[in-house]
Amino acid sequence: MTVVPSTRIYEGTRIPPRVPTILDVDPHKHDLGDILRVNFGPNHPSTHGVLRLIVDLDGEAIAGIEAVIGYLHTGFEKTMEEKSWWKSVTYPARIDYLGFHANELEYVLAIEKLLGIDVPRRATWARMALAELNRIHSHLVWLGTAALELGAISMFWYAFDDRDAVLDLFELAGGTRFHTRYVQAGGLAEDLPPGFTDEVRKFCAAMPKSVDEYEAILDKQKIWLERTKGIGLLSAEDALALGQSGPVLRASGVDWDLRKNMPYLAYDEVDFDVPVYANGDVYDRYKVHMDEMRESVRIVLQCCDQLDEMDGEPWIADDRKVVLPPRHELHTSMESLIYHFKIVTEGYRVPEGEVYVVIESPRGEAGCYLVSDGGARPWRVKFRAPSFAALQATATVVQGALIADMVAVAASLDFIMGDTDR
Amino acid sequence: MWPDTFGLACCAIEMMSIVSSRYDIARFGMERFSSSPRQADLLIVSGRVTHKMAPAIRQVYDQMLEPKWVIAMGACASSGGMFNNYTILQGVDKILAVDIHVPGCPPRPEALIEGIVRLHEKIRAGIPPAYEIRGVAE
Amino acid sequence: MSNARLRLAFEAVPGVVETREAYAETTLVVDPARLVEACTHLRDEEGFNLLSDIAATDYLGWGEPGVAGYIGTAAGRDLHEPGSQGLAQVPTPKPKRFSVSYHLLRVGDDPARVRVQVWLDEGEAVATLVPVWPAADWFEREAWDMFGVRFEGHPNLVRILMPDDWEGHPLRKDYPLGGEPVRFSGED
Repeated sequence: MTVVPSTRIYEGTRIPPRVPTILDVDPHKHDLGDILRVNFGPNHPSTHGVLRLIVDLDGEAIAGIEAVIGYLHTGFEKTMEEKSWWKSVTYPARIDYLGFHANELEYVLAIEKLLGIDVPRRATWARMALAELNRIHSHLVWLGTAALELGAISMFWYAFDDRDAVLDLFELAGGTRFHTRYVQAGGLAEDLPPGFTDEVRKFCAAMPKSVDEYEAILDKQKIWLERTKGIGLLSAEDALALGQSGPVLRASGVDWDLRKNMPYLAYDEVDFDVPVYANGDVYDRYKVHMDEMRESVRIVLQCCDQLDEMDGEPWIADDRKVVLPPRHELHTSMESLIYHFKIVTEGYRVPEGEVYVVIESPRGEAGCYLVSDGGARPWRVKFRAPSFAALQATATVVQGALIADMVAVAASLDFIMGDTDR
Repeated sequence: MWPDTFGLACCAIEMMSIVSSRYDIARFGMERFSSSPRQADLLIVSGRVTHKMAPAIRQVYDQMLEPKWVIAMGACASSGGMFNNYTILQGVDKILAVDIHVPGCPPRPEALIEGIVRLHEKIRAGIPPAYEIRGVAE
Repeated sequence: MSNARLRLAFEAVPGVVETREAYAETTLVVDPARLVEACTHLRDEEGFNLLSDIAATDYLGWGEPGVAGYIGTAAGRDLHEPGSQGLAQVPTPKPKRFSVSYHLLRVGDDPARVRVQVWLDEGEAVATLVPVWPAADWFEREAWDMFGVRFEGHPNLVRILMPDDWEGHPLRKDYPLGGEPVRFSGED
């Protein structure tokens, strides 16, 4: 296995033996009457959403923990079963609402896999560029909120300022800052506007300097180091056993990134590195996020070069049974009119089958299991949420931590409650 | 007027961005988001409210001291949004009294600030908070 | 690993009833009674060390709407083949009501994915995979909560996404979507 050789993070396994996701209090301690059960209820001051943690405290040390989720269960999967394929693309973006492009992308890739249509390369490269911009956006928000919770309050404003620049780019491309719903089965909903690549290049020129500034603020700062180094340890074996992926796995020493190891879209044609750190603590997860932002900038610049070369090429597949025909054709071609009518009223039909498409979202392995019965609506959509898996690791990661560290550890796992609860 | 963040879902991210320097809410003196409902005046419900979460919201609302106002931010808080199913409360006004509904999915930060400004105008015009007009469901 | 080697490796997995390949994905249908054996073999011998997802599906009412072969089938889409459009085709019938699909991933030098599938009827239970991959804990709880599929031996099989006192299993096909009827402003 490609694990970075280093000192072992800890011996053996720290996964709780009875229930992997619940850390039980040592029964001896319960008898002493020292255990205080505190409820970190759904309404947190931290902006991670509606997570409820039931924590047993022995003084300030954490003796037991259990995570209760479900406060944001929206029934995406059931709702999407009632919508046509076209309309249901609006829903996945709201699942992982920070990495919204990733969810739309995995769903649309699954539909395209079942349909078997070819996506033009301009759409593929544009999707890649937007996915990487989305990764930068997600990491910036993560950085801002994680630093805010640990006390580095000014990072919030710096990170969100850059984040607004990314959202401006999304607005330029798709019209909305958030939940762009820019991908469509077959390509993009619309072509990229002229001048998009120039704006992206301007942003990418400024971004590495921003990341350097953030690192200058936090990297050597004594308080930050004290609060993140050696906290929240997770070994590589435990991480794999608990289904972790993404930055959490890479910070534990496992060199695994779907973009490199199982490439999708055109990731095998771009040049980038995958940051891997070996200590498995909060500090390493933070470093992975920072390095990933830099690598994403590299990828976006390469995508811009390719997109400039492909200027004028189609941005959506030509298949009239799935994609709406261009409007000027509706005046002249009878078949186009019929296709348009069928697609808008009933929606296109996807052949029978089941697929599982996985991509590397900002949080890790995000997948879409899609079952189609050949009809106009999905039969079953299941989203593999990386945050769901990340939260399962809370009981393992928080061992030996104090209550103040729990905030740092929870922030470092980078979960989004919409993703967890779906 | 100090807001109490009830950041639930995607709208919470846009709500965080009104604190950021571009859509600065400190212009109104509201940058102190109070985590404790006892010290907050304004509850911004941002995001979809599930049946599981509803008692928690109600408890937070009850813990707020009068006068208190509620902004239902986004389509999901106003009316259930695009989710009309077994688990989403179709509008937080079923359990609270809402003063301002801000539409959008998610509403732009400018839209939320417009909602806040309208609330300020409403208060200055002397309109009492919503729970006095409409009463609160028990 | 080439496809042929992967196929040979999968033939050695105990308890496999059927192997399907479609869309460059392999599905191993396994006898529910031998699931733990098969998964342990896959984890230890074949190196599938990451459990990616557990997805339960309810096939109640499968095939009743009567879908047309309008767009084509998994084998391909030839729009010009005579009779490829407008024919009423029924999707292939499923053996039982519920399927539980375990998506496995091999993290390492030779990445691979596989889907292990078991078929269950209403009320049938399957062994838990928590001893094999601890990641299965919450995924199985979700399958229980949403579909009512029991996992024998699970240490904590309680509801996870719905409130604790909820009745019914929401993602089943005979459970209504719920919600309220939408009223428009012109009506009363």
